Amino acid sequence: MGKLAEYAFVAGTLSTFLALVGYVFYALSGVRAARMAAAGVPMTTAGIGFTSGPRTASIGHYASLLGWLSLSAIAASLVFRTIATGHGPFSNMYEFSIAFAFGILCAYYWFERKYRQRVLGLLALPVALALLAYAATVPASIEPLVPALQNNMLLTVHVATAIVAYGSFTIAFAAALLYLIQPATGRWGLPRPAVLDEIGYRAIVIGFPFLTLTVVLGAVWADTAWGTYWSWDPKETASLVTWLIYGAYLHARVVRGWRGNKAALLLLVGFGATLLTYFGNLFFGGLHSYSGLAGV
Amino acid sequence: MAHTTRTQNLGPGPIRVPAGDLPTTSTSRTGTVDSALDRLWGLLTSMKFGLLLILAFAAFGLVGTLLIQMPAGVADDPQARAGWLAEVRPKYGGWTGILDQLQFFTIFQSVWLRAVGALLAASTIACTMHRIPGTWRTMTKPHVNVGPTFFEHAPQHEAMTFQRAPADVLAATEQVLKRRHYRTVTEDDGTVRIYADRNRWQPWAGIAGHFSIVVILAGAMVGSLWGFRDSQFMLAEGATSAVPTEAGLSITLNSFKDTYYPDTGAPSDYVSDVVLTRDGRTVAQQQVRVNEPLRYGDVSFYQAFFGPAAVVTVKDAAGATLFSQGVPLAWTSNNGGNKVGTFSIPRQNIAVWVVATTGPDDPSVKPGQVAIELYASDTGNPIVQKSIDQGTPTTIEGLTYTFDRESKYTGLNVAKDPGTPIVWFGCLLLVLGFMVRLFVPYRRIWGQLASRPDGGSSLSFAAVGRRDSDLDAEFTSLVTDIRQAVTGPARS
Repeated sequence: MGKLAEYAFVAGTLSTFLALVGYVFYALSGVRAARMAAAGVPMTTAGIGFTSGPRTASIGHYASLLGWLSLSAIAASLVFRTIATGHGPFSNMYEFSIAFAFGILCAYYWFERKYRQRVLGLLALPVALALLAYAATVPASIEPLVPALQNNMLLTVHVATAIVAYGSFTIAFAAALLYLIQPATGRWGLPRPAVLDEIGYRAIVIGFPFLTLTVVLGAVWADTAWGTYWSWDPKETASLVTWLIYGAYLHARVVRGWRGNKAALLLLVGFGATLLTYFGNLFFGGLHSYSGLAGV
Repeated sequence: MAHTTRTQNLGPGPIRVPAGDLPTTSTSRTGTVDSALDRLWGLLTSMKFGLLLILAFAAFGLVGTLLIQMPAGVADDPQARAGWLAEVRPKYGGWTGILDQLQFFTIFQSVWLRAVGALLAASTIACTMHRIPGTWRTMTKPHVNVGPTFFEHAPQHEAMTFQRAPADVLAATEQVLKRRHYRTVTEDDGTVRIYADRNRWQPWAGIAGHFSIVVILAGAMVGSLWGFRDSQFMLAEGATSAVPTEAGLSITLNSFKDTYYPDTGAPSDYVSDVVLTRDGRTVAQQQVRVNEPLRYGDVSFYQAFFGPAAVVTVKDAAGATLFSQGVPLAWTSNNGGNKVGTFSIPRQNIAVWVVATTGPDDPSVKPGQVAIELYASDTGNPIVQKSIDQGTPTTIEGLTYTFDRESKYTGLNVAKDPGTPIVWFGCLLLVLGFMVRLFVPYRRIWGQLASRPDGGSSLSFAAVGRRDSDLDAEFTSLVTDIRQAVTGPARS
């Protein structure tokens, strides 16, 4: 089972890479089509989003297929790993990174189905791929759980909710970045700012309650294992900071003077905080030191 | 806080004057106070101010994660504080003093975080209170008549004409709205004004979610005022100790066991087998593990740490036992790094330190020995020091000391936090509040229905809200449904 998990992981990583190549070609073709359209060549436009050139749609279709393949392979890898270890695949940086990448792919394909904005994949997939590549560099061996992690229910739910939240935040990050690099009138045939704003908001609407749940379940677990529901542990604090930034974003979106660019900027800052929370246990120290990386 | 502006800015509700902008014509003393209070209220209910407070709190939190924080206890002890600062100085260089002055090394106890936290709590309370009357009005007595221009300028709007009489159109419309779980309120002043909403209780979830933050803070305050915590509660195997602040309650450690995985040597389990007695009666017995604390009433015992202990017996000249118990060797000596522990003998002015060997290379304490160091309890002055062999009674200063055997001690975290249930209630409210607020859609639409000279009717609908594909889709589908319900199934 452990071996199967590794094969599926490799397959998932490779297909994520190929899917990303597909998305790059898709974007290039889209930009070219947009330029041709600007030059007066008649083009078919699909409602919202990229102008379609002759080949753009079919390239995008294949890129998505590869992405779905990588999503399935990584899901399989996580399932095999769970069977092999007997607990949710969240106990060290190897497992957690694959799960994070899985969360990103899930969130991305949910949004791709809903909004049909493949350009987001161009930004979301590299993040997933980077996490998979990172996972490939850390020890993958299956270690038994140290006493503090021996709580199957909380380990699974606490980290699973974090994965949902982090995946959504990555999509919000991608949407915000695309929002910020173009003027309000649009550019390069990218998705319109209004659509990107909506995607970013929708991603936070999903991610924020899940992050809330992650922090609360973390407090419940801390109360059981460490004897206090809150101890300003660095990872705890970083997750609170992340929660506050996205909370600020939800407010910013309805405050005059903060809508638009500043709100989008908060999504970038929030994603920075998410990454800090995620990688934090590598350099913070503190109570969350379960990375499985010796000497760190 | 976040969610009223949308309806206040765009919605057809009664126009509210922000408290801060109220004309202040009165020049009397009370008038000045009133206007200052109004201005404060305006500030606290301002979402922009709340937003800045959230970001400020986040910024201080970030400082706390990025800078090393002083461990608890060090901050209050000037000597320990100076030592700690010297330790981190190589890392922060010339900034060390400045960061310390700014309280950035104790950011979670700093005046900054407390001030921002208090303002944030005040702002949350003010915003929540500020929203309650409006939310209540919107739910119970919604604004039905919105005027004709609204139907032309609302983000979603649609005008329809029908051959059928207004009464029929209204009946069909109400049926469609009911099927879609909308509540409908109508007023008739010649023109029928229609208001319909779905999930009208949803804004309360947002209020509850915000209010929960205040509940959680209140719970934390209760805990810090009336709770206690001893995270250094040590107990050697076989020893019994009174539980701090709980009269009559004492705890005994039967045994402690630490086990390791054979392949990797990583710890697999720490188990303290303890018995809790109240006035001599056993009230609880449990194996305390890292994820399985012993809870008795509102006192909890958590497995925190462990270490070696030395069982020592002390007898007086007549052979009566003065002390016989495991001594936790929980500290490390400054010179040599030996594990050391201490106990005092009842009715004797003596503090005894037990020093364990560091191994074969230890010059003063050989393996199989412990050193006994005696100090005067009151002055702290050293009296005598002697290494003794295991199992050999040795007389020092008139008393006989025996190092019986090695054993273990467990370190427990003993905590009583009466605020915890409040915190959990707040957390429940927080999660449910924000889940419902963000996952359940709240929809409001307005309509007006008038008869036309030809006996038919004209029906307009409009909805408020930012343009959003979900909102647009729902509005379109609702209007289509109504059109179909009035005209009958589309003829093909």
